[in-house]
Amino acid sequence: MTSLLDDLLNGLALGAVYALVALGFVVIFKASGVINFAQGSLLLFGGYLTAVLHDDLGFAGALAVAVLATALLAGALDRLLLQRGEPDPRMAHVQTIVTIGVDIVLLTDLSRRIGGDLLSLGDPWGDSVVTLGSVTVADSRLAAIAVSAVAIAAVFALFRFTPWGLSLRAAAEDTEAAALMGVRLSRVRMLAWCLAGALAALAAVFLAAFPAPGLERTTGQIALKAFPAAILGGMASPPGALAGSLLIGLTEALVAGHQSDLHVLGEGFGDVAPYAVMVLVLLVRPTGLFGAKGAARV
Amino acid sequence: MNTTHSRHRTAAAALAGALALLLAATGCSSKADGKGSSDSADGVRTGPGVTAKTIKLGALTDLTGPYATLGKSIVQAQQMWADETNAKGGICGRKVEIVVKDHGYDVQKAVTAYADIAPDVVALPQVIGSPVVAALLDDIDRDHMLTFPQAWAASLLGKDSVQVIGTTYDIDMISAVDFLTRTKGLKKGDTIGHVYFEGDYGANALEGSTWAAKKAGLKIEGQKIKATDTDLSAQVSALRKAGVKAILISAGPAQTASLVGVAASRGLRVPVVSNAPGFAPQLMKTPAAPALAAMLNIISSAPAVSSDLPGVRAMVASYKKKYPGSPVDSGVLSGYNAAELLGADLKKACASGGLTREDLVKAHRSQKNADTGLGTPQDFSDAGSPASREAYVLRPDAKADGGVVNAEDAHKAPGVDEYLSTRG
Repeated sequence: MTSLLDDLLNGLALGAVYALVALGFVVIFKASGVINFAQGSLLLFGGYLTAVLHDDLGFAGALAVAVLATALLAGALDRLLLQRGEPDPRMAHVQTIVTIGVDIVLLTDLSRRIGGDLLSLGDPWGDSVVTLGSVTVADSRLAAIAVSAVAIAAVFALFRFTPWGLSLRAAAEDTEAAALMGVRLSRVRMLAWCLAGALAALAAVFLAAFPAPGLERTTGQIALKAFPAAILGGMASPPGALAGSLLIGLTEALVAGHQSDLHVLGEGFGDVAPYAVMVLVLLVRPTGLFGAKGAARV
Repeated sequence: MNTTHSRHRTAAAALAGALALLLAATGCSSKADGKGSSDSADGVRTGPGVTAKTIKLGALTDLTGPYATLGKSIVQAQQMWADETNAKGGICGRKVEIVVKDHGYDVQKAVTAYADIAPDVVALPQVIGSPVVAALLDDIDRDHMLTFPQAWAASLLGKDSVQVIGTTYDIDMISAVDFLTRTKGLKKGDTIGHVYFEGDYGANALEGSTWAAKKAGLKIEGQKIKATDTDLSAQVSALRKAGVKAILISAGPAQTASLVGVAASRGLRVPVVSNAPGFAPQLMKTPAAPALAAMLNIISSAPAVSSDLPGVRAMVASYKKKYPGSPVDSGVLSGYNAAELLGADLKKACASGGLTREDLVKAHRSQKNADTGLGTPQDFSDAGSPASREAYVLRPDAKADGGVVNAEDAHKAPGVDEYLSTRG
């Protein structure tokens, strides 16, 4: 029983961290129809900045600079690289491929800088833990749960209650009509990319904090685990991203915690499990848990 | 009609031209692949990589990828060895030169780099990366290129021209189990957790631990992980549930830090023993440092860089002088040691009258007790057996060079001989 609670709590905490990354995927997808494969290296960029700056600026200062810089970088990527020429939703596929290229360039440079190091981000939680009855959970993970909840609520509110959110939803619904109504598509899009960049830098803190040992060159790859989470959630829905992330986190923790009971399925099933869950969910709900029903009438 | 014809003709001509080029290219490379040997003026048989004046060695290293720190240490240490050797007059009347190629831990780049330098070098005292070595194994074997990889999986044994220096991962884990039962009070019926990487490294380590555990009446609870797993909370939960009395880990430094940090924070304060690649001096700067110092031991076939072996002390002193500011880590020691061993092989080959690759491999395999004074003596006579069966036990110490100090001197764990004989 204790171990089950342990696994559940681990899974929730892990899911909360993935949610921050998945939210980045969702915001970008909703605004531009692009699946941003460079999200992982943006995350690494933000984490790296926090790591090198925290000695001089303190953790909060370094994080603020990193969040801002990553947001600017993501916005600039969209504005200068992806939005060449007339905005055209049919170009989203091409732009998705471009993000793969961007990812390679960013990742190569950051790996070169990080090398074999494990960088500390100077977060305030250290290795302290909270014991709740018989289970323990790291402070950093509790913080992750809180921050994710706030971030997701904020993004949800931004979508729903701000003029920008309205424009974004209008553009997502019908790009052409939105443009005719005077929505400045390129600015709406760029702001969405900035937001995703900021979320990536924030996620880096929790991916590198205890129980992980610090930021290393592969930290960006971990972000890819949020991929099935975003797809599960329907790709365009912030609450969906949260639900998908929690599901993936729980799956991973439960499978890893019961690895020895799952020998029938072969070793290392934990790596496959998130994708297995994703496929199962998509079989039942092809548009994801919270995906919009694609009404295609003939 | 006419135009189609001429187009056909052009195509045919182009094809013929391309074929001719291809033939010429392969013709060139067959000349350069090093089969032919000749006698130089001093009567020593020479082949690729050796002229009357120089001996060229190659290094396929990682200076821009994940193991850049390690790669730099090895390159610098081996260059220092080459400079020292040349200052003493070289080997066989020839200057030693090392050609360094960076592959950034990319197998494809490494294969290209090998093809690039192979015709011009006689041996490779450094190849970083298990996947790189695995990809090059056949080429190295075909070219009789004496190679010292920076990898210790038993699957690399059995090739005449490939030499794993020291013990293999399985032997180290047998030593680890012996260390646990001998000094940490583990007894029959206890369970040991073993967290290991997928792939050759982890599989080989698990083979050793499983054998030793069975021998000692212990049970192994395995947890397979990947290099991208850096939060081992779930693994620690599972190990705690299994009631482990100790944990073995065969992974990277990041995993060791997470495992020990999480285990300590959850009150699972059991001894943890790691393979050598599972530790890096940088770990002592992470929040897990106090837990590491309290719980971790490392099994290594090389002594700590901070050990008081006279050979090691002298080497470290000259390294610090030559490269002030560079960290002195285990790569410095293993790189320098590999170069020393190769130097001994070259001298022996020279004494028997030939410096071709075949001569060098033969000379290498005749070394039954190669002792550089930098660790345990090595027996290279049997390509199918590990070169050494003795391992050191180290423990972390933030203040020492390389972040570790010797906890136990090198010794052979009981059972190692039996294990190797049963494995054949």
